[in-house]
Amino acid sequence: MKQRTTLSVVVPLYNEEGNVMRLVEGVRAALGDRYAWELLLVDDGSSDGTLREVAVAAGAEPRIRPLVMGRRFGQTAATQAGLEHAVGDVTITMDGDLQNDPADIPHLVEKLQEGYDLVAGYRKHRKDRLLTRKVPSWVANRMIRWVTGVPIRDNGCSLKAYRRELVDRIQLYSDLHRFIPAVAVATVGARIAEVPVRHYRRQAGKSKYGLSRTGKVISDLLVLTMIRSFRDHPLILFAAGGAVAFAFAALFGVTSIIMAVRLGLPSIVFASVTALLAGLGAFLVILGLLAESAVFHAMARKPPPNLILSSPGARAGGGLER
Amino acid sequence: MTSPIGALPSDPLREELDVRTGEAVSILVPVTERPSNLQELYEEFATPFRSSGLGFEFIFIVEPEHWNLLAPLEELRDAGEPIRILRVGRAAGDATLLRMGAERAAHDVFLTLPAYPRIEADALLDVLEPVLRGASMSVARRWPRRDSWLNRLQNRIFHLLAASAAGGHSINDVACGVRAIRRDVFESLPMYGDFHRFLPFFALRQGYQVDEVEAPQHVGDHQPRIYSPSVYLRRVLDVFGLYFLMRFTEKPLRFFGLIGGGSLLTGSAILAVLALQRVQGQSLADRPILLLGVLLLVLGVQAVALGLIGEIIVHVNTLRGGNRVVREIRREPGSEGGSSSG
Repeated sequence: MKQRTTLSVVVPLYNEEGNVMRLVEGVRAALGDRYAWELLLVDDGSSDGTLREVAVAAGAEPRIRPLVMGRRFGQTAATQAGLEHAVGDVTITMDGDLQNDPADIPHLVEKLQEGYDLVAGYRKHRKDRLLTRKVPSWVANRMIRWVTGVPIRDNGCSLKAYRRELVDRIQLYSDLHRFIPAVAVATVGARIAEVPVRHYRRQAGKSKYGLSRTGKVISDLLVLTMIRSFRDHPLILFAAGGAVAFAFAALFGVTSIIMAVRLGLPSIVFASVTALLAGLGAFLVILGLLAESAVFHAMARKPPPNLILSSPGARAGGGLER
Repeated sequence: MTSPIGALPSDPLREELDVRTGEAVSILVPVTERPSNLQELYEEFATPFRSSGLGFEFIFIVEPEHWNLLAPLEELRDAGEPIRILRVGRAAGDATLLRMGAERAAHDVFLTLPAYPRIEADALLDVLEPVLRGASMSVARRWPRRDSWLNRLQNRIFHLLAASAAGGHSINDVACGVRAIRRDVFESLPMYGDFHRFLPFFALRQGYQVDEVEAPQHVGDHQPRIYSPSVYLRRVLDVFGLYFLMRFTEKPLRFFGLIGGGSLLTGSAILAVLALQRVQGQSLADRPILLLGVLLLVLGVQAVALGLIGEIIVHVNTLRGGNRVVREIRREPGSEGGSSSG
């Protein structure tokens, strides 16, 4: 007899009073008895009545697991906490603001069962403001795609499905929830697919995001690039920076010598610039060695990373199909 | 008076789990600086425990400089008093001494006590009570203060700085050092250097609730204290460290990137203007501002590079289930929502 897929739906919640019951109804209607499922509602230190609604919902529905964070840690930590508590073969993440439709979950699961490790939803018809949401999101997605090399078209959509093996292997921290597909590819070489999902306007509560996150996204992208390309050999990154600094130092050095010796012109400014740039080059190489040392000591304490994803038909090295 | 402190509003659903902590406590006394007479200290502070019927042990963790104070304590121990003495081979500081004591403690609730009186002995049980009921941590606040205005002024300035560095968490007396804490909470908190002072802030950061208990100040704590300039400098550095650790431990590039980004942008702007002027025929060789532009650029790159190093260290050391408290709450019976079996 074929065993039913078990689903864990993880929903981080922060000040979503008024949305919880409708969310639960939506999940229940979408999943019904088709799957064995659990709904992990993770309250991330809400200051409104969200927690009360979660507790009441859990009192009425035994498949709900109500979790509470000790304080507000942010969406990444709340999502990671939910992933760590999930027990299903497949884990779904989604927002608690009812902008995702739980009815899309079966589509994601079907796609996942084709042999992918992660299926990301993309909002086909976004119901957001053009200038403050859609345009920044479009720019951010292009940047993320360009920097990470993972061609996900909608990184801001939280509705995603993950195979158990992947959930056990990824570790989110800081604000990396925005880049889960890129993290999954960078760290374990996950195979990724995208499916279109519905999108609705927020029905209650307030949005927690605005244009202010742009700087954070840029910083996180830099981190992600480093993790993806240089985690195992950070010296390469720093030595490359050092080489550029040394090259400019050489350029200014030669120029200052020519000015002083051949042309008899004052060259103190160029000579000083040479010293500064050479110092920067040396500093970067030293930092690279320090980074290697940090990685060496950390890795020596850990078992080798488990990069084996047992999904049928998974390809090495990751990739994306639609 | 006990007041819970935390980032979240008080809510019965957020109450601590009912952890069985037993009816015994290990009192950890790190003997590092200006210890008072340890025998008198023991006799005074053991009294409330004796009369309470609570099981207890005193663990004195002593740096070599103060081994000469141990003879009377050893006599008491040999006479059957619940005293354990750990002689530490070198000066290691309060945080390390407390960790060593905790490792060897027989019980799962700790009370940390400085080697000099801070609060009246009778108040120790009040400090302990929230933790015996299952709370994560409780800290004593010396109140009302009866010491000199100089002590209070120093204390106020330090707490203003520390609270602001800690992101607004208002612990009123982190310097007191009298704290009750569960073993599991203690072991999950960072304890090194001089950061034992900020343990309540770190507990709050990880999502634990910390109770603050008002306790009358001990008469032996009234005398005015002036420290050497190096002590004040270390406190300022501690507060700066606290600021960084509370905000940027998981995202160091945000801190270094902000500094480096500002410097990089300014340097780049200066160099862009100079490049434009060079194209228009103006010489650069005699322009010191070129030096300033390159200097800012170099500083910016260095700061960003340091941030990246920080990120590498965070990335390779991040563990699942890291530094945060997550718990499953109890279910509330309610009429909303239907029920179906899974």
